[in-house]
Amino acid sequence: MKKAFEVKNQSILDSAELILNEIKAIGADEGETWVSRNVLTELYYELGKISMVRTVFSDKVSVKLLKDKRKGTVNLNSFDPADIKQAVADAWQAAQSAAPDEAEGIAELQENASFNSGEEKPDLDLMYQQLTDLLADTKQDFPKISFDSIGVEHTYSERLYANTNGVRLSEEQGLYQLINMFMAKDGDQTSSFNYFGTVYDDPSERVAEAGRVRRILDETQRQIVTEQIEGSFTGDLVITPGCLENFLWYVGDTYLQDGAMISGTSPWKEKLGEQVASTLVNVELVAEHPELPGTSKLSGDGYVAENMSLIERGVLKNFSLSRYGAAKTGLKRSANSGSTMVFGNGQTSLEDMISGVEKGILLGRFSGGQPSPSGDLSGVAKNSFLIENGKVTKPLSEVMIAGNLGDMLRDTVAVSQERENSGYWLLPWIRVSKVTISGK
Amino acid sequence: MLQDHLHDYIKRFGFTGYTELRAQENRNRAVAMLNGSLVSNSSGVSRGVSARVVKGGAYGFASATGYGDDIEAIAQIVRSASQNATFLDRHVQRGQPDFAPVQPFTRTDGLEHDVPVEQSYLLSVVDELDSYIAERFPKLLSRRVFARVLNMEKLLYTSDGVVSHSFVPRSNIYTIMTTQDQDGQPVELYKVLGGYGNFPEKFKNAEEFFEKLEKQYELLMQKAEGVYAKPGIQTVILDSDLAGILAHEAVGHTVEADFVQTGSVGGPMFGKQVASEKISLVDIAHTAFGELAPVPVFVDDEGTPAQDQMLIENGILTGYMHNKESARKFGHEPNGNARAYEFSDEPLIRMRNTCILPGTDKLEEMIASVEDGYFMTDMNNGQADSTGEFMFGVPMGYEIKNGKLGRAIKDTTVSGVAFEVLKTADMVSDTVTWTNSGMCGKKQMIPVGMGGPAIKVKINVGGRA
Repeated sequence: MKKAFEVKNQSILDSAELILNEIKAIGADEGETWVSRNVLTELYYELGKISMVRTVFSDKVSVKLLKDKRKGTVNLNSFDPADIKQAVADAWQAAQSAAPDEAEGIAELQENASFNSGEEKPDLDLMYQQLTDLLADTKQDFPKISFDSIGVEHTYSERLYANTNGVRLSEEQGLYQLINMFMAKDGDQTSSFNYFGTVYDDPSERVAEAGRVRRILDETQRQIVTEQIEGSFTGDLVITPGCLENFLWYVGDTYLQDGAMISGTSPWKEKLGEQVASTLVNVELVAEHPELPGTSKLSGDGYVAENMSLIERGVLKNFSLSRYGAAKTGLKRSANSGSTMVFGNGQTSLEDMISGVEKGILLGRFSGGQPSPSGDLSGVAKNSFLIENGKVTKPLSEVMIAGNLGDMLRDTVAVSQERENSGYWLLPWIRVSKVTISGK
Repeated sequence: MLQDHLHDYIKRFGFTGYTELRAQENRNRAVAMLNGSLVSNSSGVSRGVSARVVKGGAYGFASATGYGDDIEAIAQIVRSASQNATFLDRHVQRGQPDFAPVQPFTRTDGLEHDVPVEQSYLLSVVDELDSYIAERFPKLLSRRVFARVLNMEKLLYTSDGVVSHSFVPRSNIYTIMTTQDQDGQPVELYKVLGGYGNFPEKFKNAEEFFEKLEKQYELLMQKAEGVYAKPGIQTVILDSDLAGILAHEAVGHTVEADFVQTGSVGGPMFGKQVASEKISLVDIAHTAFGELAPVPVFVDDEGTPAQDQMLIENGILTGYMHNKESARKFGHEPNGNARAYEFSDEPLIRMRNTCILPGTDKLEEMIASVEDGYFMTDMNNGQADSTGEFMFGVPMGYEIKNGKLGRAIKDTTVSGVAFEVLKTADMVSDTVTWTNSGMCGKKQMIPVGMGGPAIKVKINVGGRA
């Protein structure tokens, strides 16, 4: 929720004001700081038992200052005034040796504001109940699933961005998160490991009742005995939502974000406003969404983030550039350079999508190398099934896929009506054609 | 250097029950240049105190930033950890006894390497390397040079009477060059310099590395004219970097005792043949082949003195890596594999320096023995599975045709099932090299060393049809 600027923890505000005063006093032209106070409460399960309760109190401070467009940055985890003064002095010293960069700067003056969401205090008893419920529900409904680890976490943070232009933005957020790793076992045989992560506001929800969680547990349980395929062929991938999130992260890194754009390696660097993907592809970065509690309202460079379309009906609408990346490339700063994503759902039911595949893979997880700058990628199809003549036939192992990210978006031939929600993303299944699939 | 305020706390309050108390400071520096622009120029300190208390088999952990002579602040952290253990013990009532006490000892390691490093020195070295690349290779599409320093200092007291104060420095420079192939597509190659040691020790003079930059450019030009590898099972010589990551990712994770208990393939294979008899694999604690290993661990974060852990001996799976709890469960001795990354992290079972031991073959003879296959020289990432199935990214390699190196290949991926691939290892070279830039992720990150000789195997290549 947006409200007038206020900071609950006075020591955060005091530290930020001290830093800005020190930045001015030392002779810098401009500067900025992030100051936060964070508490993590974790209940941890491993090796068949709830093993640990963990509490982490952490203060974080970052300082950036500029002198004649020369930059120095220091990070520390102390609000001690002596440590803060030393940090500013260290940043000043670093800036002295730096080469000037005209693209450097800080966020311009804007409306100061604060945002808050979630609860400050965790309910440890409810977290314990939630964890024991997940274990009991899984044991009953998916008895072959064996969890390697489960972390039920509550994080609370209050963070402030402040700079010498007068910008003051703060965000207070309390969030529950469940992370895990598991496999299915039957005697000495095991499936590949798998995982799902989810963020949420309410720890009284039963995790194993969510459709996405049940699907992943069910599929993993059917992957204990896998088969290999012979030879290579060109076929289709039906990419599951969690795996799609992995590919979209690669797309951001290879085509849209600061690194690829500044270095000039992005194959899409001249493609703004052009068709880069199938007309079925609609991708948006979101700062606010009623179904996604994991969104953040502040960008890393001191702006209020907004919802922003990346690709609309296959047309590249925006890059994902920070203030610096924009200045460096001569392009517009993006209204969102985060990673909370929504992929528009399509017109095809998942059932119809699979039934349209002559030969291909239902891709549960991709274990692959970092794509090359041209978008080429290859890796192993994990937690996956073979699709033959429109039917999911058998779980696979030792099958590799190879293709190109840009080609895959262009060769997207169907997007499912159904979507899954992790709290950070809302994504469908997509069907991609013309991918190299190779077995033994 | 961390002052010893923990001793003052213990003198006043002592320990109640099994407790590990740790002060830690991770110091990092980063300088990055992208096409001549300084995109990162930062330093950072992460400092704090943690306590872990065990009651009846239930662990309570607490930590907070800051570390100084405020003894009451340290006491508050220990109390929080104790309250957490009490909460959990009340719920789970496991009723386990404390760990068997170890003989008390005190030691310090690596503190002499804690020397001041100026940010300006990193900047000057990176700038010199970047300028050299820009002048010598003006046709590159892009270039990136970045330096990373991570110095980890830990002061550990345990209720058993173990006192360990250690300092482990790591300094690396990454150089990334990008050109275009004949189709105008970007082609990239990166190399890593440096390793264990503080930055001025590892990078006394930028000029010493110019020859390596020349070599990197030469390889990039070969790769720009490279071909896609053929998909499917191929005969491949994995050079040291790839053998090292195979040891770590594909085998190492499956024989961490926590993964074994969850159901990894390492469990049922204990005592069995899992590799050709030419393969021996060890997780080295701190010293190998008469020299300090890349990430030396002398005492782990549970206070266990670190020793080498043999994992595969002449092809037989003979050992697991443990913390105190898993060692007690298996009836094995812990050898110092419980490691934490930040002050706010609890120790987990982690590798230190995994290494396939050298054989007797010469690399040239190995290449000459391949009629149709590949020689893969570089790796860029790797992942492994509970089943032993793994993949590594391969950014550089060559065809081998009739015993001779042929054309370079474009980026590819190799995969397989570790124990099956290692059973096909019929040649092992006589020279081990280490990499010391890797970070392993498993709930927390942790620096690891990886090493090995070149090995000749049959492996699945993710090429293009």
